[in-house]
Amino acid sequence: MMNTPQQVKNPSSSLKSRFITRFLGALTKINAEDPISSPSPTRIFQRYRRIKVASNKSMAYSVRSRRIWSRAMLSRFRSRRSAFSGRRSSVKTTNCTTINVTINENKTAKGGLDMQTDELRELVPGGEAMDVCNLLDETAHYIKCLTTQVQVMRKIVDFCHLSK
Amino acid sequence: MEKDQVFMGEAVQAGWNSCSFGMEMETDELNCVGSCFLNPKWHNSMDQSDPFESALSSMVCSPAASNAGSTNFPASGDNTMMTDLIGKLGNICNTGDISPQSLIKPPNNNNNCSSNTSCYTSPLDSPPKLNLSMMGGNQILKHPSLVPVSVDPGFAERAARFSCFNGLNAQLGVTEAEFVQLTRVSTNQSVMVTGSQVHVPDSNKNTLQDGNSCSDKRNSRLSRCSSPENGDSKDESSISEQIPGVGSSIKAQNDANARKRKSMPRGKAKETPSPAAADAKIAEENDESTAKRSKQQNDSAKAENKENPKPPEPPKDYIHVRARRGQATDSHSLAERVRREKISERMKFLQDLVPDCNKVTGKALMLDEIINYVQSLQRQVEFLSMKLATVNPRMNANTEALLSKDMFRSRGSLPHSHYPMDSSALAFGLRYQPQQGLPMNNGISNDTQIQFSMNPANAALHKTQGLQLPPVDGISDANPQIGSFWGDDLQSIVQMGFGQNQPQSCQSKHS
Repeated sequence: MMNTPQQVKNPSSSLKSRFITRFLGALTKINAEDPISSPSPTRIFQRYRRIKVASNKSMAYSVRSRRIWSRAMLSRFRSRRSAFSGRRSSVKTTNCTTINVTINENKTAKGGLDMQTDELRELVPGGEAMDVCNLLDETAHYIKCLTTQVQVMRKIVDFCHLSK
Repeated sequence: MEKDQVFMGEAVQAGWNSCSFGMEMETDELNCVGSCFLNPKWHNSMDQSDPFESALSSMVCSPAASNAGSTNFPASGDNTMMTDLIGKLGNICNTGDISPQSLIKPPNNNNNCSSNTSCYTSPLDSPPKLNLSMMGGNQILKHPSLVPVSVDPGFAERAARFSCFNGLNAQLGVTEAEFVQLTRVSTNQSVMVTGSQVHVPDSNKNTLQDGNSCSDKRNSRLSRCSSPENGDSKDESSISEQIPGVGSSIKAQNDANARKRKSMPRGKAKETPSPAAADAKIAEENDESTAKRSKQQNDSAKAENKENPKPPEPPKDYIHVRARRGQATDSHSLAERVRREKISERMKFLQDLVPDCNKVTGKALMLDEIINYVQSLQRQVEFLSMKLATVNPRMNANTEALLSKDMFRSRGSLPHSHYPMDSSALAFGLRYQPQQGLPMNNGISNDTQIQFSMNPANAALHKTQGLQLPPVDGISDANPQIGSFWGDDLQSIVQMGFGQNQPQSCQSKHS
């Protein structure tokens, strides 16, 4: 799943490279907009939030719409953005909940695993509207993307550390 | 009678052969043949072998069929014809009240089909209709030559139908002898009923199967083979896959009420063990089983040989699963089993993804592990973003570009051996002031002169070092992946940073 050093990867096409490009661009933008001159906790916290959103968004955009979780995440971002102007986000959540109810009712046969699957649904974006099979698929891909995210961010952090 | 029977056997044989090679079997021709088989009285009524022969030869010489002036069977309508034939054959399983028109596909411009269908609907009591069908068959072709033709998927369906007929045999009171003959013929290798030539029949067959769907419980397996899903989904591939599945139904004959195919090759692989046993049981066992087994044998043989020429199957809407032996075979339990297998397969894949969960067994524990891992990853992302928020005040556009460029470049081109540094060394470097420098070979040609305003003794760094180093070390220690990960990407970056940081020390250490 991850690059091994021996693998020669086409940088323009791998998920990792796409994520790196986007995330670095977002970081640059954030730094440009909010230069850290005063490390006040509030500012730092705001930056943290922005960076976190930028990271998730970059990953979601890198995956584009190929995955249910990325689509859900992107729609969440867009609804959040539009929530400032309108109340569209509530519509999306209600859709998810109705679907969720239906699926849960159908899954009573699964027995004791419902609790865990529900937890997983909460963790994976867009998980409410998936059946167990797809949920596991999406979870696998989501884990892969999360590890990519973590690795890249670690790289950047260490680079920044070293560059100080 | 004997002569007729023998002839019929030969004709069928020839017909099957022709079908096996040509894939242009006309359904109507098959209709005629099938009707011949079904109606024992037909032997008496058809004193002339000629119509039957012509019908069979029409099957045989499929390319010539069109040439023979069979206006009713355009070459293009092969599959539809086949489908119709199959449908009609299967229709025999039905009460026989089905109107022929319902079975015939509209695109079929074969008027004889209707007449033939009517034969099927009442096979036992309409010799005149059969005659009519035979007359229709006459029009088909007059080629006495029996050219072996490759079997098209229609054969597989026909095989299925014949097995259906066998089941219906008892119902209709058709003597076993007729079917024995048929099975004998079919078991003959030369019959080459290899429906495995799986040329995907067009969707017409699906619709026909709707009509064909043997409503009887007896034939339920066949109807399941043609499965209601097929009818609903018009999935062409499912039809061709039905035939080998039919063979397995013989095994689980008593149990099988529904049959789904997981994959054609797999089904055929399952069938291969049966032929050996099948050959030994021709006269003793159920004739239909024999016929099916022989067909499967051929099917599997052909399938294995000819899977490549198989045209690309259309995307399947449904997944076909074979009922395992000794397991419940109703559609619900089959679907449930498929679902369970899918889920367990994905759980195994997740087990590979999540580190250190090999010892965990059971879905519940595995799911707990997965949930924990996902949560930890999400927390790590948050933590790292917090670090990024506090750590990188000096990142400018130049830095970003160079960083990304080096990431890409190092990933693709630079060999691993150039970077002897490992995570522990890096942690060491981080722990003890960057100005110490790290003993490493700067494999990256420092053609990119990064103008970092590096100041290891930066007050800001000192302020944050206490805060940040422990976590960094914690991360480095906690995650063994970093060691390998450092190998390609980050090392280059680190070296770049270090190179700028202590140009003197790095240059001294350049190899």
